[in-house]
Amino acid sequence: MSAPVSSTATEALREDTPVEKPPRGTPWWANQRVGLLLLVVLLSALFGVLRPAFFNQQLVVFPLLRDIAMFTVVGLAQLCVLSIGHMNLAVGRMAAFSMMITGISYDLWHFTLYSGLLVGLVAGTAIGALAGWVIARTGVNSFVVTLALDFLLLGMIPLVYTSLTENAAFVTKPPGMRELRNFSLADVCIGNVCGSPAVPQLAIFAVIAMAVVGWIYARTRLGRELLMTGSSVRAAELSGIPTARRVIIAHAMSGCLAALAGFMLAVSTGSIKATIGEEFMLPSFLGPILGGTLLAGGFVSIWGTLLGTALTTVIRKGLDLLGVGLESLNIYLGLILLAALSTDRIRTLLSDRQAVASSSPPPPPKAAGSQEGER
Amino acid sequence: MTLFEASEIVKVFPGVRALDGVTLTLEAGSVHALLGENGAGKSTLIKVITGLYRPDGGRLLMDGREMSFGSPHESAAAGIGVVHQERNLIPGFTVGENILLQKLPTSRGLVDRAAIRSEAARWLAELELDIDPDQPVTELSVAQAQLVEIAKALSVESRVLLLDEPTASITPNEAALLFRVVEKLKDDGRAILFVSHKLEEVFQICDTVTVLRDGASVLSGGALADLTRDEVVDLMVGRVHEALSLPERAVDTAVPPILELRGVGTASGHADVDLSVRPGEIVGLYGLVGAGRSELAKALLGLDRITAGEVRVRGEAVKIRTVRDALRNHKIGYVTENRKEEGVFLEQPITRNIAVTIWDRLRKVLGYVPAKVETAMVTSYVEQLGIRIASPSQLAGTLSGGNQQKISLAKWLAAQTEILIIDEPTVGIDVRTKDAFHTLIWDLAANGLAILLITSDLPEMITLADRVVVMRDHRIRGELPNNHDYDQMSQQVIRLIHAEGTTAA
Repeated sequence: MSAPVSSTATEALREDTPVEKPPRGTPWWANQRVGLLLLVVLLSALFGVLRPAFFNQQLVVFPLLRDIAMFTVVGLAQLCVLSIGHMNLAVGRMAAFSMMITGISYDLWHFTLYSGLLVGLVAGTAIGALAGWVIARTGVNSFVVTLALDFLLLGMIPLVYTSLTENAAFVTKPPGMRELRNFSLADVCIGNVCGSPAVPQLAIFAVIAMAVVGWIYARTRLGRELLMTGSSVRAAELSGIPTARRVIIAHAMSGCLAALAGFMLAVSTGSIKATIGEEFMLPSFLGPILGGTLLAGGFVSIWGTLLGTALTTVIRKGLDLLGVGLESLNIYLGLILLAALSTDRIRTLLSDRQAVASSSPPPPPKAAGSQEGER
Repeated sequence: MTLFEASEIVKVFPGVRALDGVTLTLEAGSVHALLGENGAGKSTLIKVITGLYRPDGGRLLMDGREMSFGSPHESAAAGIGVVHQERNLIPGFTVGENILLQKLPTSRGLVDRAAIRSEAARWLAELELDIDPDQPVTELSVAQAQLVEIAKALSVESRVLLLDEPTASITPNEAALLFRVVEKLKDDGRAILFVSHKLEEVFQICDTVTVLRDGASVLSGGALADLTRDEVVDLMVGRVHEALSLPERAVDTAVPPILELRGVGTASGHADVDLSVRPGEIVGLYGLVGAGRSELAKALLGLDRITAGEVRVRGEAVKIRTVRDALRNHKIGYVTENRKEEGVFLEQPITRNIAVTIWDRLRKVLGYVPAKVETAMVTSYVEQLGIRIASPSQLAGTLSGGNQQKISLAKWLAAQTEILIIDEPTVGIDVRTKDAFHTLIWDLAANGLAILLITSDLPEMITLADRVVVMRDHRIRGELPNNHDYDQMSQQVIRLIHAEGTTAA
């Protein structure tokens, strides 16, 4: 690495002032993900004590994990656009659109299960890229563009279904679909060792999605550039990042993951119909945001998305088992989420206070910096 | 009669005495000019007077009574109105609503539209302005908006009016209208403080003057009638700058320019811009705020349209479309003046802030960026530039302005650019670090980088540049070889800037 900085310049630039202290590393108990994990474990234990049926592998744990897997993928779909500070309000409808294409491929073209999935993923990527292209091209807020796209698809999808099917659902089920729905890791054996019957095979899709998305954000140029774009579009543009292309790619990734989530839902409900993805939108935000992904862009957490999704899904399932009715279930869910988010805030404040107390000389370097900038 | 007095004001920021015993006296029925170079302390003084900053020493007196302003509200209540350099009208509101924003008339808890109209009309009439109070402010011209801001400043019953560079962005004709209003306010017995870089205007409408230099008042309340233009310039620039000792550096004039602009015009209004930079040369582009220097740099990077002329890089005519294009294909980098919004990613770690320009080069199969190579490269620049950090994963926002600026520069060095446009590198940076930056920039040029240095800091320009190009109103006004003699150069440059007859836009 040959740099044109000579030692004289380096000498002049060296400062004898003490190192500017970064905010101290937050203690482990203030880590958002640790907090989430504890909450999930505690609540599961609580539900298990109140209703031992909560730990029934076949009737409760299996569908619970299947739901967590699916909503994690939904969360990841939102996370991709959140990383650049955008939103995708059409995340559910993109899933519906992709599954419509998949359904057509099964019904009319007699595709196999996985080639149908592939077609769906391509369709999802395409519709996401279209949204991204419109946003990058027009400069209109992603909120508005995806909202408009949502309405467009809301009108278009049922039209296609009514013209192609009789009961607004594709009836052709490619071979392997039913197995994929019911099989667990118990059906996967290496020699004599088989997996747990509580873990659905469908969860593998979520694991793959997490691994790929995680790798992109942690290890690749693309992921870093997405985060930089989310942090500051202007700085990114002026650092030579092709921001318009990054916007399109983020939305395309979102569309692709929405399609995957749609596929997982179609498999677990056993039918491809127009209403797929209707319940995706709110959970798509809940998972990432509970997990620490910033709404404003620039920071994502894949594990956090899994844990945030697990928390909401466990609460739902637990309350359901306790016999709480649907309406009051939402009230409780809201209350618990509010509590989860506030304890998070309280933890941050506590750790900040501790950090301030332990760094004894009071003048905070941050204040000095900001004042300097104002002048 | 003395209306307002700021006496022996001291304001200290970490590492800098921004104001060091400044005294300013405003008389009723008089227009007082506040002059000084960029960074001399004018804005800081205004912020102290309006209660945005608390002074660390000295007294503020209104009608001879000592005042203490905790906020702009309190200074407004005491009768001090201010029109800031930046526009402060709220776009969605009408002229009337904007004028009376600080105390909207209400009736039974609701905004009283009729009262707004009549009250606002009264202030507009006072200024003899023909503007409808019901008009949305978005329909106003820049000059009209400026006058509405004055009406707004008056609406708090102010007797002291501070105008911070009111003519910076309006045409001479519009300025004439503004001056008529200022004359009227003066005749009404108000005290007016007029801050401007344009000496013609100052001599035209001001009665007395205070000149700031390096945070101190070198002339407090002198009558302008007794002063000549040259004497004022001398007072402004006459500082004895402790010369930084830099090693010899010669530019090989036989080498053809690496960057050359021929008759360039841009969509933002530049015309006939001729400019060239050789490898190893520092060309200073000097001008006041708004002269169009940063805009020219951004046009070079493809962020604005070039409408005429040609840009040649390494002897070939090129069309640069994006910053990425400039970096990858032409090895041009741009260190922005707007550090916090365009230069660094405050919420990202230092590593990413510096490595952002090289991921493209580092990436392997599937876009994989090897973290080891990245960290090694970043650490090397952190050491070479003496950036004080606790760890490379520290967020850039936790660093001081000087260290942030080093990061903003480091990413272009890491990208191994050959042409570097550096825009106001030392704004808001303390004196010591400033000298270090000068050493660095000098050194980069000595190592063969071609540097276009944009600055409105005259000493900086005279210390570093080999040639000084003066820009005003988006046009090149002249070019001077630099002999590094501060007194001589500053006189010449300031004369070029303030040369009469070039005011027309």
